[in-house]
Amino acid sequence: MRVRKRSAVAVLAIGVLAVTSACAEGNSGAPAASSGSSNGASAAPSAAYKPAVITLGTAEDSKGPAIPPEGVVKGGTVTMIDRDDFSHLDPAQVYVNTEGNFFRLIGRTLTGYKRVAKGEFKLVGDLATDTGTQSDGGKTWKFTLKDGVKWQDGSPITSADVKWSMERTFAPFVTQGPTYIQQWLTDVDYKKAYAGPYDGKELDAIETPDDKTIIYKFKTPHADASYAFAMAGYGIVPKAKDTKEQYDKEPFSSGPYIIKSHVVDKTMDLERNPHWDPATDPIRGAYPDKWHLEFGFEALQVTDRLMADSGADQTAFTFYGSTPPERLQQVLGDANLANRRMNSPSPYGNYYYFNLDRVKDIKIRQAINYAWPSKQIQQVLGGPAAAALPTTILNENTTVGYESYDLFGKKTKPDGDVEKAKELLAQSSNPTPTIVYAYNQTPVQEQVTVAIKSALAKAGINVVAKPLDRKTYYDSIGKLKNEFDMYWGGWGADWPSGSTVLPIIFGPVADGAPNYSHLKDPALTAEMDKITAETDIDAANTAWMALDKKIQETITPLVVAENRIATMLHGSKVGGAEIDPQMWIVQPDTIFVKP
Amino acid sequence: MFRFITRRTLGAVVTLLIIAACTFFLFFAVPADPARLACGKVCPPELLEQARHNLGLDQPLFVQFLTWVGGIFLGRDYEGLGYCSAPCLGFSFVNKAPVLDTILDRMPLTISLTLGAAVVFLFFGVATGIVAALKQGKALDKIASVSSLIGASLQIYFIGTLALYFLVYKNHILRQPGYVPFTENPLNWAAGLMLPWVVLAIIFTANYTRMTRSTMVEQLTEDYVRTARAKGMANRSVVMRFALRGTLITIVTILGVDLGTLIGGAIITEQTFGLQGIGQLSIRAVWSSDLPMLMATVLVAAGAIVVFNIIVDVLYAVIDPRVRLS
Repeated sequence: MRVRKRSAVAVLAIGVLAVTSACAEGNSGAPAASSGSSNGASAAPSAAYKPAVITLGTAEDSKGPAIPPEGVVKGGTVTMIDRDDFSHLDPAQVYVNTEGNFFRLIGRTLTGYKRVAKGEFKLVGDLATDTGTQSDGGKTWKFTLKDGVKWQDGSPITSADVKWSMERTFAPFVTQGPTYIQQWLTDVDYKKAYAGPYDGKELDAIETPDDKTIIYKFKTPHADASYAFAMAGYGIVPKAKDTKEQYDKEPFSSGPYIIKSHVVDKTMDLERNPHWDPATDPIRGAYPDKWHLEFGFEALQVTDRLMADSGADQTAFTFYGSTPPERLQQVLGDANLANRRMNSPSPYGNYYYFNLDRVKDIKIRQAINYAWPSKQIQQVLGGPAAAALPTTILNENTTVGYESYDLFGKKTKPDGDVEKAKELLAQSSNPTPTIVYAYNQTPVQEQVTVAIKSALAKAGINVVAKPLDRKTYYDSIGKLKNEFDMYWGGWGADWPSGSTVLPIIFGPVADGAPNYSHLKDPALTAEMDKITAETDIDAANTAWMALDKKIQETITPLVVAENRIATMLHGSKVGGAEIDPQMWIVQPDTIFVKP
Repeated sequence: MFRFITRRTLGAVVTLLIIAACTFFLFFAVPADPARLACGKVCPPELLEQARHNLGLDQPLFVQFLTWVGGIFLGRDYEGLGYCSAPCLGFSFVNKAPVLDTILDRMPLTISLTLGAAVVFLFFGVATGIVAALKQGKALDKIASVSSLIGASLQIYFIGTLALYFLVYKNHILRQPGYVPFTENPLNWAAGLMLPWVVLAIIFTANYTRMTRSTMVEQLTEDYVRTARAKGMANRSVVMRFALRGTLITIVTILGVDLGTLIGGAIITEQTFGLQGIGQLSIRAVWSSDLPMLMATVLVAAGAIVVFNIIVDVLYAVIDPRVRLS
């Protein structure tokens, strides 16, 4: 049975390829905070931004070539400047957004996201002829490979290659990629269930009846599997060229470009893959003839170079070099930069978690939610141009069927509702509680902490601030027996569904696990399992959204934190540059060089 | 002299081993786990353990350290990555690149940056210091003193960012700092490093001006200088042959320390100008808990200090015959 096509256009942005570190404050992908408020010439991006629209594409949508952006020109060399090189080129080890974004240039997946217009995307078949066919109630998924898809040496990409690519993700040396499909095929502890293909053993749960067909047999139904297959971590690797750990340095291209040279942490040059056929690829435009990537430049240098727009930098852009605070007002206020400026709110979820082992009274947790100084924190972060104020656990940019709610009056009273907080505290077990708040000791978080401390004090809550070293921050808050009542944490959806958020941040309670609130509720777990098993993807999405509200109403395990907004620039001779709302990074598919 | 150099070299090796041991064990004193960075977004204990094993972090600390030291002298076999011949500094935790190759790739830039800047700040620092000493109390002396005070008060990240903005991005007077090997194109090599040289020189010149001036003033009052003057020697000869020679001891001492420090990593300069040298490498190794890279950059930094100290000691003997006699 095919996945039912959504009749209505869902408003969302897609899954985010982010690891815990990528969610951390001050990470490579996240914009830094500004110290000033935004009252510049341009409107606040959060107000102007419209969440992306995504639908499930058809077999016809899955045919190449990609839809070209307006004014597209083929040829030339485009330069990309950023801070860090890619730690991994082996798709099996790719999870972070920067690496997943780059992988689009050199590799392909079974499915992928096709840009149909600015802000509009469709999930389509990439190597596959469509987004797959499910049967057995969502437990079996079948894909057929397109004709004419080839490796860089001209040999055809076969179903055996696709199977091999999934099998090798079970190997001991692979520790960083996504784990969803491996667990669906075998067990939660999938590495024990199967050790990878290098000792000659195959994974029976994947069948390849012929060179074009590949069938995955999951243990349980997964209606959203076609989204999971779009993750770069499930990109393909040829068995004949697989060099295990070494493959991370010598990837074999199935995408539009081949790595011509790579000096680690310094430069990388790409040239066209002559065996990539645009007629088979609905996603990648691959308009420049060559790519030159330069690493080692901080966001400030990237911004200054792109603002100056001189010489070779006119054909330059950045994947993730977000405008730093010291340039933000200048960039937002300069009318000359308007047509070279991009902005997009973060697709990540950001939360101030309560440690439920310590803050046991829901009245206190709700009082803190009411008293929370959202607006003051927004000002510290740079004002509305630099941060939006969401009210839900699931991010509006990464949730199909998103429904807004505002349980604690953040929109009506963004400064905090002290009276309501006091009222709740009066009904609680302790009207003047002391809250130990742990924070990442950065200059911005110092200011945020002052705002929190001051605002909660007005409601009668004494905040004891505990600064933590940024290097050990996650290790400290990840300990089950930590001595903190509240702390910040982030999470990014892997595809546009609550299924990659709620079951994770409220999943297993263990040291180092992302369930930082230590929420352990059998009824909640049962409800999440029930939604995960739902075969109707639309019904599942609606249920996730409803569960989001229910969790905040009945448990209140967290305060929803601010959502950063990235602002980036590109050179005047770069066309088609857009921040991908799913990865929060400038995607390469539409980039072209103007003459 | 040979015995002296041999003794100092052996001492240097021991010093470097002690520094390496301190760095290694201090790294693990911080409760950050590099294996967590090598583990996925969802990192269950079994996957974390696998990542720890893959990085060799599941061995006792002492065994890890001895294995690392053994790799330097004997080479080492890395599971999945192949044999790393001596001197093996291992593979980066972050990108699995051979550490020695990365260090050797970054070193020419850092050496070019250091030596080029040294030529500039030595020339201007010593020259200004001599003039200030000779014109003691006069306008030139005061100008030199005030200038050196201002120069010493400036920070590279401040003046470097300003210089970049006005000279490169806004007015396009200088080109974007970068590195082109000298052997490839000497002009581009100099053009790419011109701005970092000048900025580094502004900061360092001040120190040399002040040190040269104060030591020179002292030297000019020494008996042997007075004797030379009394014998009717020309002022130029007195200054250049006697007073300056006496001043050189101080200059060489601080130059040795400065060169060692800069070779070890001009961290702020390289960060400010986006230059991929040893300094930038070291700061990123710290950020990413990349132990093999961190160990290598610390060794380079310590090695540079130790080597330049030996060179300085040798130069003492060349400059001052009394040292040779003693």
